[in-house]
Amino acid sequence: MGSFFHRHPRVTPYLLLAPGIAWLAAFFVVPLAFLGYQSLQSGVFPSYEFTFEFSNFSDAISDYREHFVRSFLYAGLATVAALLLAYPLVYWIAFRAGPWKNVFLLFIVAPFFVTYLIRTLAWLNILADQGPVVGFLRGIHVLDEDGRLLATTFAVVAGITYNFFPFMALPLYVSLEQIDGRLLEAAKDLYASPTQAFLRVTLPLSAPGIVAGTLLTFIPAAGDFINARFLGTPNQAMIGNVIQAQFLESLNYPSAAALSFILMATILVGLILYARVVGPERLTG
Amino acid sequence: MNPRLTRDQLLRRGAAGVTFLSLPGLLAACGGGDEETSGELRDVLNFANWPLYIDVDEETRQRPTLDQFTEQTGIRVNYFEEINDNAEYFARVQGPLSQGQGIDRDIVVFTDNSRFPGLLISEGWVEQLDRDLIPNVANLIPAQASPPFDPDREYSLPWQSGMTGIAWNESVTGPVESIEQLLEDPELRGKVTMLFELADSVGLAILANGDDPSSVDDDVFNRAVDRIETAVDSGQIRRFTGNDYAQALTSGDLAACVAWSGDVIQLLADNPDLKWGVPADGGMIWTDNMFIPTGGSVPTASTYMNFVYDPAVMAQISGYVNFVPPVEGAKEELAKNDPETASNTLIFPDAELLEQLHQYDSEALNNDEHISRWQQVTGQ
Amino acid sequence: MTTATEAVPARSRPRVSTRVWSAVKRHALTAYALLAVVYLMLPIAVVILFSFNDPAGRFNYVWQGFTLSNWAEWDSVLGLRESVVKSLQIGVLATVVATVLGTMVALGIVRHRFRGRGTTNVLVFLPMSTPEIVLGASLLTLFLNTTSIFTLGFWTIFIAHVMFIVSFVVVTVKARLIGFDRHLEEAAMDLGANEWTTFRKVTLPLLMPAILAAALLGFALSIDDFVITYLNAGGEQTFPVYVWGIARVSVPPQVNVVASAIFLVAIGIALANVLWQYRRANRQRGAR
Repeated sequence: MGSFFHRHPRVTPYLLLAPGIAWLAAFFVVPLAFLGYQSLQSGVFPSYEFTFEFSNFSDAISDYREHFVRSFLYAGLATVAALLLAYPLVYWIAFRAGPWKNVFLLFIVAPFFVTYLIRTLAWLNILADQGPVVGFLRGIHVLDEDGRLLATTFAVVAGITYNFFPFMALPLYVSLEQIDGRLLEAAKDLYASPTQAFLRVTLPLSAPGIVAGTLLTFIPAAGDFINARFLGTPNQAMIGNVIQAQFLESLNYPSAAALSFILMATILVGLILYARVVGPERLTG
Repeated sequence: MNPRLTRDQLLRRGAAGVTFLSLPGLLAACGGGDEETSGELRDVLNFANWPLYIDVDEETRQRPTLDQFTEQTGIRVNYFEEINDNAEYFARVQGPLSQGQGIDRDIVVFTDNSRFPGLLISEGWVEQLDRDLIPNVANLIPAQASPPFDPDREYSLPWQSGMTGIAWNESVTGPVESIEQLLEDPELRGKVTMLFELADSVGLAILANGDDPSSVDDDVFNRAVDRIETAVDSGQIRRFTGNDYAQALTSGDLAACVAWSGDVIQLLADNPDLKWGVPADGGMIWTDNMFIPTGGSVPTASTYMNFVYDPAVMAQISGYVNFVPPVEGAKEELAKNDPETASNTLIFPDAELLEQLHQYDSEALNNDEHISRWQQVTGQ
Repeated sequence: MTTATEAVPARSRPRVSTRVWSAVKRHALTAYALLAVVYLMLPIAVVILFSFNDPAGRFNYVWQGFTLSNWAEWDSVLGLRESVVKSLQIGVLATVVATVLGTMVALGIVRHRFRGRGTTNVLVFLPMSTPEIVLGASLLTLFLNTTSIFTLGFWTIFIAHVMFIVSFVVVTVKARLIGFDRHLEEAAMDLGANEWTTFRKVTLPLLMPAILAAALLGFALSIDDFVITYLNAGGEQTFPVYVWGIARVSVPPQVNVVASAIFLVAIGIALANVLWQYRRANRQRGAR
């Protein structure tokens, strides 16, 4: 088999890509094409007609601009929070945990084994107004007498951060884990302080992981609806909630489709800008 | 071929909605993918329902009334607890139904405080019941005889009902007995929630305004929603919920909320401080209704419905699930074995209580502008 | 490891405060790591705790008393066991397939220049940016229009899961591939190994931690998915679907039991692995 690849080097990428891309083409692109078709329909459920209804898009933007902005804001905050919270933990796992690495990786992912609803109910329990956490915060006057944690912007962003934590942590781990310890030793030998070693060796080498982690967190978080639904008030509604409602309750499939495309397009534009900033080789190598 | 699907309709649907009709798909829509017509009695019933909504014997892991049905009629029941939300289940089944195809189910259950019963009937996606096979329909309680979405009960029969009212936690607040108090009492600020369900929340507000929820025009609707919106803006209403109010109410985070009676019955067992009541101006009653979707076997489904409308059978079901049965005489039957449950007015409301309960205008539930406005207010 | 031999001037013993501070600095990171784990595990702790609760009603919100009967009779809630089995089956299967496909795609994108590389890169990100309800519904439409090939059920859920996991695997594995030191591979080939052998014996082992991390992420995604699964399940129930359904009327402690059990088994396997590696290292040391 080795000689086959050696003799046909140009075929190799296509062979590698074929199964995965074929799967995505069949089960994502095709449905997406239909979605595109649907986004230009008009009419009332269930009899839509294809009418090149571009107004679906302009209406979507004008009606729900606030929700889009809010979604990107919350997703951005959650991504930054996840990065700041996850990096030290992942650093410790990669460099200090030794044989316990896999155990701690499991701890990171474990919350997912307990379905979202049960996790949220547990948090609702922990963060309840009458619970210990809020009581403590009121006691040290971070919250007022009547202050609460739930049904606030804080709760929604915290919920998104918590739920997407593994999406940030695992890619970070992947790139930190591969850093050769000898590079750090060399830095030390060259009289670098630990801080300098970190800033000038570790951090840059972990950049692919940071890029991957921020993307894997931000992109799905922007479309999330579940945290806003359980942990927020109507003022925290994200674009995901709108799309959910348009699709399920309003039965306005064209509008839901248009909103989805706008979300996707905005994320793609953001992706391109992000690639410019961090350097395209960080995205493709 | 489904007699209701004329060539014209087929062409229109083909052009409009789902256009990726493959040849097999087209044939299925045209010529009935099901081998049997919906007119024959079959030996299998495919029944889709909500979870924990039928009696269960925990020891034997069987469902006694279903087994009794099989014994009596020889019809085996495939029971699917696959409905967990009206809108989500509808999203799942509307594809085939809109093309005139069956969904491999003979009975499905939708709640009448959602837009879907009215929609199913107006689109012609449900079959008519065979009333000749359901003599027990005579046991249907009068309050359920003529609902707004199906005035002649041609397409549906109730399965169980529940009541929407106000629940409050006595360790946090005194009795909260009116919507006015819920929405406007400053003592309750930020400790109140309402339901996402339009029919429940807006219905109660309509009643609080002195209007009639069974006949909702734009004025009536907007007056009620204005009132709710004011409460949202002022921070009176903390948020909107599905049944996740239950935990917050129990823990005392909420002083009071719009709540379903069925939940409170369960919560009471663990927290005796909880109370539930019909608001002073009236409450809402919602009913989960059995429908026969396109392609379902009408005689088989009707036979089952007749079986379930025997008071003795319904008593078994309601006695376990603790929701309100739609059948006369169920209470008396249950009292023979389980007098405690039979005397629970939240499961067997008396006539006086039933008088205070209303249903929402089912046409208004499908009013897109109303839906739009409600979504804005609830943050969607 | 080289040790520099240089003359170190004699120093006086450092002050207590300096020593304390350097001790703090040394252990700060570990302390943080443990705190972070506590934060992650807080809800799990509550879930495990309440799996021992003995509620009187059908909801599990108020602590009534300790009991082991939920664990003993974990199977007493109809449908729970089947849904968990389904979730695990689909999870393992979809993760394996998606990890293989995704790793191949990552290798293709990072290691080769080809036409359409940019587009492929973009294509990989798109599924992640699509809201789940829309992803699920459009996939359902596809299945409904191809009923001769696809019947809604186990395999459609499997297909859907692979579809949305692949992107995450690609991005995760890419993070490792970008900046991968190719010198080891070049050395192997210089020593006579062909490409396939090099891949098998050098690349893959070095890539394994990333592949495992991606698989872990994929499995987590699969086992927790609700929206896409529900729409494409055609009557099958996975664990999240089951829990969301039953939550309308009940949150039985047995659900907590099952969730806790999955978590504890996973941790148990990881701990066993640690033990086994420890033993193996000892044995090797002893053999020398």
